[in-house]
Amino acid sequence: MKDPYEVLGVSRTASDSEIKAAYRELVKKYHPDNYANNPLADLASEKMKEINEAYDSITKARAGQSAGGYQTNSQSGYQSAYQNYGSQNARNSNYAQIRSYINANQLDMAESYLNTAAERDAEWYYLKGVIAYRRGWLDEARQHYQTACAMMPGNYEYQNALRTVQGGYTPYRQTNYQNNNMDAACDICNTLLCLNCLCGGCGR
Amino acid sequence: MFGYVRPRRDQLEEAELEAYQAAYCGLCRALGKRYGFLARFLVNYDMCFLSLLRSSVKEPAREARCWCPARVCGKKNCVLDPEGYEVPAACTVILCYEKLRDNVRDEGFFKGLPARLLRLVYHRAYGRAARRLPDFAALTARQLAALGELEAAQSPSIDAVADAFARITAACAADLEDPALRRPMEQVLYQTGRFLYLADALDDLKEDCAKGNYNPLRFRFTPENGALRPEDEAYLTQLTDSSVNLAGAALALLPLRAHEALLENIVYLGFPSVFSLVKAGKFNSRDQIRFTKEKNK
Repeated sequence: MKDPYEVLGVSRTASDSEIKAAYRELVKKYHPDNYANNPLADLASEKMKEINEAYDSITKARAGQSAGGYQTNSQSGYQSAYQNYGSQNARNSNYAQIRSYINANQLDMAESYLNTAAERDAEWYYLKGVIAYRRGWLDEARQHYQTACAMMPGNYEYQNALRTVQGGYTPYRQTNYQNNNMDAACDICNTLLCLNCLCGGCGR
Repeated sequence: MFGYVRPRRDQLEEAELEAYQAAYCGLCRALGKRYGFLARFLVNYDMCFLSLLRSSVKEPAREARCWCPARVCGKKNCVLDPEGYEVPAACTVILCYEKLRDNVRDEGFFKGLPARLLRLVYHRAYGRAARRLPDFAALTARQLAALGELEAAQSPSIDAVADAFARITAACAADLEDPALRRPMEQVLYQTGRFLYLADALDDLKEDCAKGNYNPLRFRFTPENGALRPEDEAYLTQLTDSSVNLAGAALALLPLRAHEALLENIVYLGFPSVFSLVKAGKFNSRDQIRFTKEKNK
């Protein structure tokens, strides 16, 4: 296992609050929301696991040293978010199968299954969009996402996906790089709010 | 080639700017050492980004003062990394040479004459580079041929034509063995290639419309007087912004040991700034060889 301090990018003498701040910053950077439908989501998920483990091991080690020191719970909600992502809304088993192909990056397989489907509902267009998005075919992805959203308005998953190709929702950026785009800032807030609802809804 | 991939210099720290210039000079030097003096003329900003990206995951290389042929006297800082810069240098030679082949094929005898001459000049260098990276050389030829077919068929899919090109840039990292390095790097390079292609298409739109040449934006949107309608331009900007986001997300997954701020600057600031300039018709590239879509019909 890697040195947990190195993973969080802090020195061994860093205070608890400094470590917490570094941890939060990294969580923000590798948040599942930034890698939704991303072909590299598996790497981001591994990275997140590494960060959580590093934070856990530091807080545990420090709590053990100082008697009566406060114990910080690791935020396991972040860990589970990756697994939960995408499992909702899989209404029929065919779509569930296609989603698992997509998550395994077997896009050709997923697409050929999808093309045999008789019914072209909102989910069909959404999955078609996800496949295009993972391939980097962003124009096509956006067209399909738009169709899915129009067919089933109010579906958060489809709306979030559409937002990722509208350029407004920007993943993590270093703070000094932020341009003064208020729309983008609002979109980030909205997405975080949505994510909060999702995490709350997972029964934890 | 294009010169669309460049940092926002005003937002760089002094040390970062020096690192960028040293990488540029390092690539130029690697080209000269390995492929002869004339290959130095092929150095460009896009390939400098590739060199930076590939060297960012390794131990920082040594820097030295090197003689620069573009200067009358004095020396410049340059990265001395013969092994690390071998692949970017070979990619540069192969891409430029293949593009010349494309030009020769598309132009008539007299118009294609300069390209023919340049091909002769770089023939030996290409042979050498293709022996170093045979898979990349084959893929580049294949993808440019596929791109030519899509252009001849007047494809309205900007995704398909950009994909044909972006696969070439992505393949500049195909030789890396560790998938934890290769996959994010390929994604950064794929989105970079996509951005390059779209920025170039927008840059050439006016000329292509006037001359009746193929341009994917002409068939995907309905330009009026050689310009996109504002809503289409906004749509296209959102598409390239999404590429920026995807490239940035992939960059964050690379275990960077150097150049982090510099690479982030190029992706998050350089790309959007260049695209704004292109939209305003103010982009000016001084590069001699360009990947354009000058094919007739």
